[in-house]
Amino acid sequence: MKRFTLAAAAASLLSGAAYAETEITLWHAMGGALGETVNAIAEDFNASQDAYKITPVFKGTYEETLTAGIAAFRAGEQPNILQVFDAGAATVIGAKGATVAVEDLLKESGTGFDIEDYISGVRYFYADSDGKMIGMPFNSSSPVMYYNVNALEAAGVTPPKTWEEFQTVTAPALKDAGYVGLSQSHLPWIFTENFMSRHNLPFATNDNGYDGVDGTKILVNNDAIKNHFKAVTDWQDKGFFQWFGTGWGDNQTPFEEGKVAIWLGSSGSFGGLSKKDLPFEFSATYLPYWEAVTKEPKQTFIGGASLFAMAGKSAEENKATAAFFEFLTKPETQFFWHKETGYVPVTEAAYELAKKEGHYEAMPAAEIGIKQLSLPAGAHTKGYRMGFYVQIRDVMNREYGRILTGETDVDAAFANIEKEANGLLERFAKTQK
Amino acid sequence: MSEANAAAMAAATLSTPSKGRRIKAGTVFDHLILILGALFMIVPLIMVFQMTTVPDVEVIKTGPSFKIGDQLDDNFNKAMFEASGFSGKNTGTNMLLNSFILGIGFAVGKIVIGMMAAYAIVYFRLRFATLAFWVIFTTLLLPLEVRILPSYEVVQRLGMLNTYQGLIIPLIASATATFFFRQYFRSVPEELVEAARIDGAGPVKFFVDILVPLSKTMIAAMFIIMFVYGWNQYLWPTMITTEEDMFTLVRGIKQITQVMEGNRIPEYGRANLLAIIAIIPPVFVVIFFQSWFVKGLTESDK
Amino acid sequence: MKRAGFATKWLPILLLVPQLTIIAVFFYWPAAHAVQSSFYLQDPFGFGSSFVGFDNYSDLMDNREYRRIAWFTVIFTVLVTFFSLAIALLLAVKADKVIRGAKSYRTLIMWVYAVAPPVAGFIGLILFNQSWGPLTRLIGQFGHQFTLGVNYTDTAFAMVLVSVWKQVPVNFIFFLSGLQSIPKSVREAALIDNRSASGRFWDVTFPLLAPTGFFLLIINITYALFDTFGVIDTLVKGEPGNNPMTLVYKVYVDGFRGNDLGGSSAQSVILMILVLALTVFQFRMLERRIHYT
Repeated sequence: MKRFTLAAAAASLLSGAAYAETEITLWHAMGGALGETVNAIAEDFNASQDAYKITPVFKGTYEETLTAGIAAFRAGEQPNILQVFDAGAATVIGAKGATVAVEDLLKESGTGFDIEDYISGVRYFYADSDGKMIGMPFNSSSPVMYYNVNALEAAGVTPPKTWEEFQTVTAPALKDAGYVGLSQSHLPWIFTENFMSRHNLPFATNDNGYDGVDGTKILVNNDAIKNHFKAVTDWQDKGFFQWFGTGWGDNQTPFEEGKVAIWLGSSGSFGGLSKKDLPFEFSATYLPYWEAVTKEPKQTFIGGASLFAMAGKSAEENKATAAFFEFLTKPETQFFWHKETGYVPVTEAAYELAKKEGHYEAMPAAEIGIKQLSLPAGAHTKGYRMGFYVQIRDVMNREYGRILTGETDVDAAFANIEKEANGLLERFAKTQK
Repeated sequence: MSEANAAAMAAATLSTPSKGRRIKAGTVFDHLILILGALFMIVPLIMVFQMTTVPDVEVIKTGPSFKIGDQLDDNFNKAMFEASGFSGKNTGTNMLLNSFILGIGFAVGKIVIGMMAAYAIVYFRLRFATLAFWVIFTTLLLPLEVRILPSYEVVQRLGMLNTYQGLIIPLIASATATFFFRQYFRSVPEELVEAARIDGAGPVKFFVDILVPLSKTMIAAMFIIMFVYGWNQYLWPTMITTEEDMFTLVRGIKQITQVMEGNRIPEYGRANLLAIIAIIPPVFVVIFFQSWFVKGLTESDK
Repeated sequence: MKRAGFATKWLPILLLVPQLTIIAVFFYWPAAHAVQSSFYLQDPFGFGSSFVGFDNYSDLMDNREYRRIAWFTVIFTVLVTFFSLAIALLLAVKADKVIRGAKSYRTLIMWVYAVAPPVAGFIGLILFNQSWGPLTRLIGQFGHQFTLGVNYTDTAFAMVLVSVWKQVPVNFIFFLSGLQSIPKSVREAALIDNRSASGRFWDVTFPLLAPTGFFLLIINITYALFDTFGVIDTLVKGEPGNNPMTLVYKVYVDGFRGNDLGGSSAQSVILMILVLALTVFQFRMLERRIHYT
């Protein structure tokens, strides 16, 4: 037995000397063509040096990927890097021993780290309350307003800057021109989370949840957002707005078909829209805001997901992970990712490169996401941190669906969201003890 | 059934005066129902097939149509030989193979284990038989989905992640097959055992030479159900396999259709064609085994 | 137990060992784990946890949404089981009757059996697509604007339809074999005794099909409760929203999607108890029937 172990050790040493390639894995949720872009980046990384080799594995939806990662972590089989989406941030960041903060990882490996290298909108969403970056923003997007240029011209209006303008000028003109004014693709993300950040409203107590789970309460039951939803139902009655369900694509398709003139989607949707050869010209601009709520609209939250370095790996493998992160944040890699997918570049340098390469000259709309994320920050715009947030979003989706199908009214729905969400937050706080 | 029988039955169905017309009306009605039923079942599949022949951009805009396009070859090559993952190993052919292993392994495993257990319960005097019976049958209806996280941990502790055993065995852990074989064995005439004993046949000989051949129809029925069940698994294979050469077809299909935030045009053609391909092997299994039990299932159940 | 059983002691134990081992390791162990988890609220990564007694259960009982889901599950199961069996029986009876084309009908009807539940759901999405879905258009002709994913009832209808569509073939195959195994002599005798076809069906054919029917009843209830998971997940596009869902899907939503281990374990335990009760009930029914037929 002993001899065998020694022989094995010797063999591995020998092979190690000859072929010192450290292998690491990345579990991600990027299906279809997005996954192919991830694969291309991994191949480039592997080809760029001899010391490390990364293998990306597609693990299904964001939720499936997170759960697979958690199950694997509990079993000691975790990947080196796990992609976690915005709604899962509280779960993964709350579990202190589960990840190695990207900031520590990069500093230890000698790569160096400066949070100021990142564009302002992505810096703190995946950071802890002290501002230390835990997860590395990867596929970052933000909700923006796409519009059908031809439709707006036909109606003789310009893209609305405020919701007041939308309801008094834009939507009636569009309706007269034969269009439904507006649809959107993700009510919790666009009309709730980003409603809060755009208007710089607090979303939860304890500094939007960053300061800890104890006593964190959601602040969603406020007049600003309730008035917004009352306006939305009013628009729906007047034919200014239509809701096509909780599914993302259902709300995007009517815009693509030219039935709906303005669609609120993700900056990451830009790539797909430009490939679809739409029968009209489209462009994009910032998310509107209510002038009645704020005169100084702020930046929005990022959506999408980030990459977490999982704990419990050897120093050698962590070095490989750091090297991959370094490669990923290189301006060239970020620009490639940005160009291919429409997700925003996360560093200032990459943004500069994209500008230098003239990426936005032909397609100014591609720049909207990053410009919106670079708008002035406010006290409540760095992000939010709430546990069981996937369920909280489910509750929101359910209640919003009920509002928009006339099953309930806005006040009752928000009272219910507040009650159920706070119940979930309280439950989550107990899981962290 | 003879023509005369059919005629008489048809005659009894309807009470139209003229006899000749009565036959016709009844038969036409039967055919009408069958045609409607067949259309209800098959038209959606034809629709999916049509969608594999036109470009994806078109499918997104117009949906299914009556047009047959020229994309079939292209989609077939993509579906069968082009990998959608990083390692280049999860091609359609490889996923097909994995689905086969899962389907057959699951069906065979479940039938063998179920028959053995059912034989023990029905044909032996055991002191703890009732206990064994309930221990087994408690598991009857509860699927893996509701205990998937703890099951994953168990599989991992046993070092079976990314293996066929890890994929198959936890799925076997419910007693459906045992239950049905028990029901079946109980309906087998008792005289058979007595006759076998008089002939001097032991329990093993009785099982192998008499009971198994006798259960052919039941085995065939079970095989169909279990093979298709295993073949169509999605959630468990997604959890348990991380290596792309272990991916199954159903998982591959889901992977292709999943597109985030409307980012790209989904490869409908490829996914739809894989969906059609995924149907074919189970259909052959059904057709093949159907001839086995077409005559006997209920006859011996009585 | 059979009176004519064998008396060997070691063989039955040997025969039972594989089955018992597998269910002990892969059923009872995880199930015990679920029961234990249902009394805790724990961090999914396994760092923190609090013992909360029966809180997870009482939270569920107080939740109006959970009760709505339970109610939907009952209705859904009844509808899917009934229509899958009824349509299949009708088609089988007709296929058994006709001479010409019987084989073609059989083959055509059979194909769908092999469709995986997520794929069936995917086909449902195509049929009910809001802008060009063929069935959306067809229903639109009758003046109803069908909106999958918006209207609760519409979505429930699509779930039932797709689930029935996928399940009819297996029932059809079994009913047809059942029918074809009825001896000719029985049929001829019935023909003489009973003048009306429907009377003949209910008096003679139906009772003879009862064993097949019970067998299929279990298969269909299991299917409606559990295997429709893939259909539902695909039809709601992975977003529960304001859509109907079944109890198993809810376990998935909270446990697998939302990582609420305690809450979903409590739901699993409730399901286990319900299913156990159902099993015992079915057993009693079946046992009686088998004795008398």
